[in-house]
Amino acid sequence: MGRYVIRRLLQALLTLGIVLFLLHYLMALSVQIRGNPALLFFGGDRAPDPAMLEQVERLYGLDSPCYERVGDPCLLPFVDRLQGFAQGDLGTTLNGNRDVAQLLSVYIPNTLRLFVFSVITLVVVSMLLGTWAARHRGRFIDHTVRGTTILADSVPVFLILLTYVYIAAVPLTRWARGIWGSESFMGQVFRPNYNPDYPWTTIIIPGIIVGTVGLATMTRLIRASQLENLGSDFVRTARAKGLKPMRITIVHVIRNSMIPIITGVGFLFAFMLSGAVLTEGVMGIPGMGRMIFQAVQRQEGNLVIVGLTVSAFVVVFVSLVVDLLYAALDPRIRYE
Amino acid sequence: MAETIRVIGDTLPGADLNAPLLEVDDLRVEFQVRGKRVPAVRGASFTLERGRTLAVVGESGSGKSVTSQAVMGILDTPPGHITGGAVRLHGVDLLDKDEETRRTIRGNHIAIVFQDALSALNPLWSVGFQIGELFRVHRGTGRKEARRRAVELLDLVGIPDAANRVGDYPHQFSGGMRQRVMIAMALALDPEVLIADEPTTALDVTVQAQIMRLLKRIQAERNMGLILITHDLGVVADVADDVAVMYAGEVVERAGIREVFKRPAHPYTKALLRAIPRVDAVGRELEVIGGLPPNPASLPSGCPFHPRCFAAEDKCAAEVPPWLEPAENHGSRCHFAQEVYTDER
Repeated sequence: MGRYVIRRLLQALLTLGIVLFLLHYLMALSVQIRGNPALLFFGGDRAPDPAMLEQVERLYGLDSPCYERVGDPCLLPFVDRLQGFAQGDLGTTLNGNRDVAQLLSVYIPNTLRLFVFSVITLVVVSMLLGTWAARHRGRFIDHTVRGTTILADSVPVFLILLTYVYIAAVPLTRWARGIWGSESFMGQVFRPNYNPDYPWTTIIIPGIIVGTVGLATMTRLIRASQLENLGSDFVRTARAKGLKPMRITIVHVIRNSMIPIITGVGFLFAFMLSGAVLTEGVMGIPGMGRMIFQAVQRQEGNLVIVGLTVSAFVVVFVSLVVDLLYAALDPRIRYE
Repeated sequence: MAETIRVIGDTLPGADLNAPLLEVDDLRVEFQVRGKRVPAVRGASFTLERGRTLAVVGESGSGKSVTSQAVMGILDTPPGHITGGAVRLHGVDLLDKDEETRRTIRGNHIAIVFQDALSALNPLWSVGFQIGELFRVHRGTGRKEARRRAVELLDLVGIPDAANRVGDYPHQFSGGMRQRVMIAMALALDPEVLIADEPTTALDVTVQAQIMRLLKRIQAERNMGLILITHDLGVVADVADDVAVMYAGEVVERAGIREVFKRPAHPYTKALLRAIPRVDAVGRELEVIGGLPPNPASLPSGCPFHPRCFAAEDKCAAEVPPWLEPAENHGSRCHFAQEVYTDER
């Protein structure tokens, strides 16, 4: 068990390191090919004073000569950046010179809230639908569940978002406010945009929308794994032991079905990150997704790297948790 | 003994201890396959007494396992449906009982050992947990006490160092040891009937013999009724008291084991016995039964064995043979049971 954990930890660290380097390299390439973002400081087409340009470059860590050579991996600035990260210094934004660490302390909690609701939606809805479909295999309910989830999956998130924001949200909000008043939970929950006075309430609906991203995949995964376990020999043994159906489901089916479910949540997490970018953008939630999107638009190299590092860290962390949960659930993995 | 009676009274109202321990009477099971009803068991009858071992012998698809699952009450419904007959435990027909009653009988009165212990045990729980589960569910025993009982049982079935292995998982045991775990689990609540469904098929020959001896020993110690389901007549020869031979979903011959080996009364049994490899027949070609077992969806007319039978006549294709008893306690479903019995055919 101990060796397994250590190996997975080292793997996670290695992955994170590779991701960080790739991010840095791509960013360096974009500077090398597209041109120096420090020029933006001077309004673009005017030729700046070389001394001032140099000052700006130094300020944002763009003064290394490697940025002039296309294809140079820029190792020195990479090491500088890692040292900065290690000391908690995440740099500042080009635009407005704001402290990135401080920005993150505002954005990360919002995205976390969004993910709380989307993971709950994903797991609860797909568990219910998948179990329900498995129980009625081959019958009307099964076909309906499978058909509906595929339909939901083939509608892109932004369409669901736009439909909600532009068609459903306004009449729903008006109706709810007419009954419960605008300062109530119901008056806020249907809002088409985020309200910082209600950080939890106004994130529920966007969270549910992000949660629909992996619903079809997850439902089918759960349906398949439950069917496999329901027809398995050890469930037949459990029935032969005279266990109650409820106990068989909880002790002998659900636990055995957990492995594919955990796998599913693990990789859908990465998908949901991209769903979060869209949702935060459309619904005006000041979160990590919107931050990365705007950073790319404004050529904020440092902000892009920090933002993607955070999301890479989250993905690596989630897969580490998934691996550890495997071991906790399945002794065959634990004693490998 | 007194305790046994009390337990039967609790879980099986109306039990008559003078009635046969287990009586399967004209059991019929059908499977729904693509809208068609296919008979899997077409009238299986046999009786099991306390302290006796009944071997149910037949080829794959002859209905042995389906019969045992119907007796246990763990048939997958759908597609399987019991369409007729009775399964009487101490004279009480279990097929009339509701699912809750049947559930309390499983494990308590009738237990089963499956063929492949690796897939029949849940890979994610320790063997101690899986054995202890029976005490906890049926007897309300606490976790610790259940574990202690599990150690006792593992010890009983001959697992070395049981106290240390009780927390191990199924994949950490060898095939033979896993089958012992299965047996320990089946024995947990001291059932009166133990069904062993091909208990040794997945094992090495030497381990097979050990498991057979273990089953026999425990059966004798506890005075249980043991139903041994197998396709291998050789395996049961020195363990079983009685034999029921199944073919195409019905019992075609039923008698004491010595009787069957000495004077089979059904051509199928006779052919099976000839197909057993013999030490004194080295160098000679092994005899086989020509043809394949019939497809249950389209059984031959008359006697289902007639296309493969060495003694078949026109009558066999036309008429379903009656149950004949050429000797006392020796029945056979063959038009020529008498002649086969006396070796005239």
